[in-house]
Amino acid sequence: MSFLKPKTHIEKGDVVILYLSVSSMHAIEAVPEIVNKKGETIPHIFQTNYGSLKVENIIGVEYGSRVELSKGWAHVLQPTPELWTQTLPHRTQIIYTPDISMILHQLEVRPGAVVVESGTGSGSLSHYFLRALKPTGQLHTFDFHEARADQAREEFRRHGLSDFVTVYHRDVCNLGFTDDLDGKADAVFLDLPAPDLAVPHAFKALKLSGGRFCSFSPCIEQSQRCIQELTKLGFNEIVSMEVLQQESVIKTRTLPVIDLEFLKQPKSNDAPTNSEESKASKEVKKYLTSSNPQVLPGHTGFLTFATLPPNIPKA
Amino acid sequence: MSTPSIQLGDYIVIQRQKYTKLQKFGSLDTTATLGKETLELKSLLDQPYGSTFKMCVKETKPGKRGAQRQHALELCSETELRSTRELLGISSSGADNRDICDDGEAQALKPSDIEQLREECNGSSKIIEKLVENSKTFHARTEYSQEKYLRKKEKKYFEFVQIRQPTIRLMVDIFYRQDAEKIMGIRVDTLSQIISYSGVCGFGSYLLYESGTNGLLPAAMLNSIGAGTEGTLVHMHPGNVPQKQALLALKLPLEQQQRCVSVNLYSVLREFYQGGESKESDVPPTEPSEVETQEAQPETPTEEQPESIEPSTKKPKLDDNQNGSKGPLRWQLENKKAAALMHAKFDSLVLAAKEHPTNILEALLPLVKPSRPVVVFGTCKELLQETYMELKATGKVTGLHLTSNWLRTYQILPNRTHPEVNMSGNSGYLLTGYTLK
Repeated sequence: MSFLKPKTHIEKGDVVILYLSVSSMHAIEAVPEIVNKKGETIPHIFQTNYGSLKVENIIGVEYGSRVELSKGWAHVLQPTPELWTQTLPHRTQIIYTPDISMILHQLEVRPGAVVVESGTGSGSLSHYFLRALKPTGQLHTFDFHEARADQAREEFRRHGLSDFVTVYHRDVCNLGFTDDLDGKADAVFLDLPAPDLAVPHAFKALKLSGGRFCSFSPCIEQSQRCIQELTKLGFNEIVSMEVLQQESVIKTRTLPVIDLEFLKQPKSNDAPTNSEESKASKEVKKYLTSSNPQVLPGHTGFLTFATLPPNIPKA
Repeated sequence: MSTPSIQLGDYIVIQRQKYTKLQKFGSLDTTATLGKETLELKSLLDQPYGSTFKMCVKETKPGKRGAQRQHALELCSETELRSTRELLGISSSGADNRDICDDGEAQALKPSDIEQLREECNGSSKIIEKLVENSKTFHARTEYSQEKYLRKKEKKYFEFVQIRQPTIRLMVDIFYRQDAEKIMGIRVDTLSQIISYSGVCGFGSYLLYESGTNGLLPAAMLNSIGAGTEGTLVHMHPGNVPQKQALLALKLPLEQQQRCVSVNLYSVLREFYQGGESKESDVPPTEPSEVETQEAQPETPTEEQPESIEPSTKKPKLDDNQNGSKGPLRWQLENKKAAALMHAKFDSLVLAAKEHPTNILEALLPLVKPSRPVVVFGTCKELLQETYMELKATGKVTGLHLTSNWLRTYQILPNRTHPEVNMSGNSGYLLTGYTLK
């Protein structure tokens, strides 16, 4: 239930982020017991690199607290869509925060918005949509993979988000977004291998007063076909872009400063004083530096945005 | 739900092709200037947002740089807007540019002829038709080059404007294009990430400190908090009066506006720490406001700031006089409201300061609950590097990341796809993390 609103203490059933380090965190469910593969109910013990955690012990603990592991410690954080995106069980490839932020901004999602999404995938983006549109809006999310749709539905229920989302198992390229949604959406988001096939359905789903459209495609050809279709149907403000986030790695570096001046002088015979001098001149300088990591994302996908202007007949 | 209509007092977005501008429609006599064109806005009243209007020349005055034209606006239907190429029925084009040389003689019409045409013709397509007719090289140009020529001419002579309702998306584009400094160089991708990382939504209580973004940051956050929700925002600023243009432009319902409490950083912290005492001492209402101004002024080191404070300094004093006899002043009430929210603590902190962030963070971080996001925006990396180290040393914030972005737009056309020639090189920097107990 920990996704609905900010809360202070861990309750039974919450998803909790167990934060070990920047590169190591886990989403765990705060339940004292789990059922193992043999069907037996056993105490919920979570294993980490720093030892095990008896999950029962974190129930009732304040979010943000330090919890002891058998060989170290960790912090418990309330999940946010950002943290969830980094810890969720991947069922598909997912979109990350920089792209998602741009999608939400460009689709102008705010409380009360009706958003249509396809496909649901692992629900990474869905959690952001839900945060942005609740408590007065609605997300309609579609996936053509039945098990994925079921898993997502179950996940939203456990996260306390069921009231704001409808999950459909449906092939939208062939079947569209159902007649019930005709003219209902403020925004449509597509992440499909052939977005152009779903553009006419998006056109139908958007409100007569107009709305915003976005398609995310890793390949430029998909965007190209999508844009042709959008133009044909009267969409305008068509823009394609790419957002890449760069992390700065911050370190304090200590550099030795070497003295080369003394080499110009002949070696003096007075050896001991000389060595003293050279010791004294071993100067170091400290810098607070930042650099980009060795490997960083060079491409995620092309984001294509468009506006459906008001009052375009949809006959 | 019907489309809202344009009302007096509204801020409107005027769009002419790709150019957009934010304008206050203050009275029926209001005019808007788009380059050399002056538009009378009278006829917009009560028309639905999203409508397109035709610019009809009323008079032409000689100006410093060519003729200044005054236009009345006439409502028109979308169908009047058609592609110039279709309209002109252009068929022949060249294969490449081997026969075209720039001798300045390609256009047979003189500038004065064109000026005259502008006055006589009421339609950009007619002017462009004449230009094409009198161009010696037009038909030798390649199809792509013709299209570019037409686009360029159309841009110049395009006589339609669309009136749109301001949204955060439209406003950040306008502000960033016109003067990025006025919104502290917060680019669209960075703004979108501030909203994400801060977690601002319909539930919870949020804290923002910003030192001048034309109201863009509080507007974006309040927009994400939404109408008819329970979320609240305390908006701290260093001046006497907050910059609120973007907030006003959104024309949010009153209940939503009231959930944004804008307060001066100094006076609200004083209220927070000493609130009870000053109440008992019962000082005359004018005195603290003077103290405030004295206090606020010397602490504003950058040159831009006095400017942003100046236009509004008179207003609160007027308020003082009006309300002086009646009881607590508006800013005092806001301070009380904010202090109550501060005591209850916040669900995230966003900081976009022109001042050094360290002391502000030190003052505001204790007001944030544990396990909540902190987002610090900075125009340069060095400052945030230091802040990163300082926060790390306190052990009060974890998951620290310092990031910036590349934002690249693309021209996607059949056989002509490439990144746009120019891109913005500076997204600003974000330092993000989560508070700990």
